[in-house]
Amino acid sequence: MEYLLHILILIGIYVILSVSLNLIAGYTGLLSIAHAAFYGVGAYVVALMALNWHSPFWVNIVCAVIAAGAFGALVGIPSLRIRDDYFVIASFAFQVITFSVLNNWVSFTGGPMGLPGIPQPVILGWQVSSHAGFLFLTACFCALTLWATQRIVRSPFGRVLMAIREDEVFAQAVGKNVAGYKVLVFVVGAGMAALAGSMYAYYISFIDPTSFTVMESIFIISIVIIGGAGSLWGPVIGAAVLVTLPEMLRFVGLPSSVAANVRQILYGGLLVAFMMWRPQGFAGEYSFEKGGSQG
Amino acid sequence: MFQVVANSLLAASAYALVGLGLALLMRVARFINFAHGVTLASCPYFALCLVRCGMPLGAAISVAVVLSMVLGCTTEVGVYKPLRRRGASSLVLLLASLGIYVVLQNVISLVFGDDTKSIRPGVVREGLNLLGARITPIQITTICVSVVLVVGLALFLRYAKLGRAMRAVANDPELANVSGIDSDRVILWAFAIGSALAGIAGILVALDLDMTPTMGLNALMMGVVVVIIGGVDSIPGIALGALLLGMAQQFGVWEISSQWQDAIAFIILLAFLLFRPQGFLGRKVRKATV
Repeated sequence: MEYLLHILILIGIYVILSVSLNLIAGYTGLLSIAHAAFYGVGAYVVALMALNWHSPFWVNIVCAVIAAGAFGALVGIPSLRIRDDYFVIASFAFQVITFSVLNNWVSFTGGPMGLPGIPQPVILGWQVSSHAGFLFLTACFCALTLWATQRIVRSPFGRVLMAIREDEVFAQAVGKNVAGYKVLVFVVGAGMAALAGSMYAYYISFIDPTSFTVMESIFIISIVIIGGAGSLWGPVIGAAVLVTLPEMLRFVGLPSSVAANVRQILYGGLLVAFMMWRPQGFAGEYSFEKGGSQG
Repeated sequence: MFQVVANSLLAASAYALVGLGLALLMRVARFINFAHGVTLASCPYFALCLVRCGMPLGAAISVAVVLSMVLGCTTEVGVYKPLRRRGASSLVLLLASLGIYVVLQNVISLVFGDDTKSIRPGVVREGLNLLGARITPIQITTICVSVVLVVGLALFLRYAKLGRAMRAVANDPELANVSGIDSDRVILWAFAIGSALAGIAGILVALDLDMTPTMGLNALMMGVVVVIIGGVDSIPGIALGALLLGMAQQFGVWEISSQWQDAIAFIILLAFLLFRPQGFLGRKVRKATV
C-alpha cells in the first residue's frame, strides 16, 4: 500500500513538472531542456530555508516559486534572440550551469553530499508525515497546476502563446509583445516546476544534485512529447505511463542495478519511436514542426 | 606556465575533433545531433571489446573506428533519413537524436557497467619534459592526430569532389539535387566522416583519461560550445574556438578549482549565443534573428 502511494506521489510530481513544461514547450513552442534546473531551484530553496531558518511551509513554497520564477525569466531571455535548436542549446547551458553550482558550491548547497534531514511540513497545525498525507498535498498542488494551466491556455494570454508557436512574426505584426509573453511563460512554468521541487524536497526529506541532471530534464521533455505537447491532458497521461512503466519492470524481476538503465532505454526508445511515427504524442496538438515563419 | 599551455592544447585537440564532426552534420544534415556524443563513447568501448577478444591494440582501434562509422550511418539510415523524407523539422531530428543518445548510452552502461574502464597499454610512464611541461607520448600523438585531421578535413571540403558536394548540400539541398548531387548519399558520407572523427576523438580521450559510459555527453557538450563560439561554417573558427575553450578552462583551473570547467564553458557559450551567435569567424546563422 505504501508503495502504491509512493508511486502515486511520484506521478503527481511529474504531472506538475510536465504540465508546466508543456506550457513552455508545447503551447509556446520553446523547446527547453532546463526544466530539471527549475525543479532543482525549487527543491533547494525550500530545503535550505527549512533547514537553516525553520521557516513555515507556505513561506518556503512562496519563496521557492519566486526564486524559480526569477531564474525562469533569465532562461527565457535568450529565446528573444535565438530560436529552435539554438535555443535548445541555450537552455541546455543553463541546465549544466545550475547542476554545476548545486554540485560544486559545497558550503552553500552541500555539494554531492546533498541536504539531508529536511523537516516535515506543518500546515495549519497538521504535521504531514504519512504517505497518504503527502499524496493529498501533492494532489492539491497537481490540481492547482492543472487548473491554472487550463485557465491560462483558454485565456487571451494562452492564445497569444499559441500564436507565437505557430507564427512568431505574425504575432508580433498584430501588435503582441512577443518578448514579454515569452519571458512571462518561462516565469510561470518555472514557478510551477518549483512547486514540484518543493513537494519532492519535503517528501523525500533528502535532496542531492543527482535528481536535477540533464538526464532528468530530458526525461521531463520526453513525458511532454510522448504524452502530447500542446494538450492539457497529454502530459498527465505521459507522466502516468512513463513513471509506472518502469515500475512494472520490478515485477518482471529485473535487478534494480539493471532497472535504472532499462528505464532510460525505455523512454529514450519511446522518444525516438514517437518522433518517427507519431510526433504529436498520444494526445498532442503540436509536433514541433513550424508553420509559416521558418527562417 | 608551459604546462597550462600544453594542457590547453591537449584539451583543444579533442574538442576540435568533436566540434568538427558536429559542425559537419549541423551544416550538411541541418540539425544538432546529440547522438554524436554516444558515437564518440561507443568507439573506445568497441576497442575495449576487441582487445578483450585478443586483438592487438592498434588493429582494435582501427576496427573500432570503422564500427563507430557504421553505428553513425545506421542511425542516419534507420532514423534521420525517414524523418527527413517526411519533412521533419530540425527540432524533431534533434529530439530523435536525444532519444538515440539516451538509449545507446544506457546500452553501453548495461553491457560494460558504469565504472571506469581502460584501454591504456601497460603502466603509466612519466611524461617527457618539454620546456618544463610534462607531456606523455599519447598526448603528443593526440595533438598531432588532431592537427592532421583538422587540416585534412579542411582540404577535403575545399578540393575533393565529395567535399564540394557536401558544401553544395549544406548551401542548398534542392539546388544540389538539381545539379545531379544525390543529397541523401552525401549526407550519409557526412555521417560516416563525422562519426569517424567522433570515434577517433573518443579513442584519444580514452587513451589519455580512460572511459566511462557518460564520457560522450561531456565531450558532446564541449563540441557544441566549440561550434557555437567558432562558427558552424568555419573550420579555422572551430579550431580557434577549441583553443580558446581549452585555454579558458585550463587557465580557469589555475585560478579556481577544476570542477568549475563545465560552468566556465557554458557561460562562454551563453555569452556567444546572446551577443555573437554566428561565432567569431562564422557568417550569419540561420536560426538567429534580431
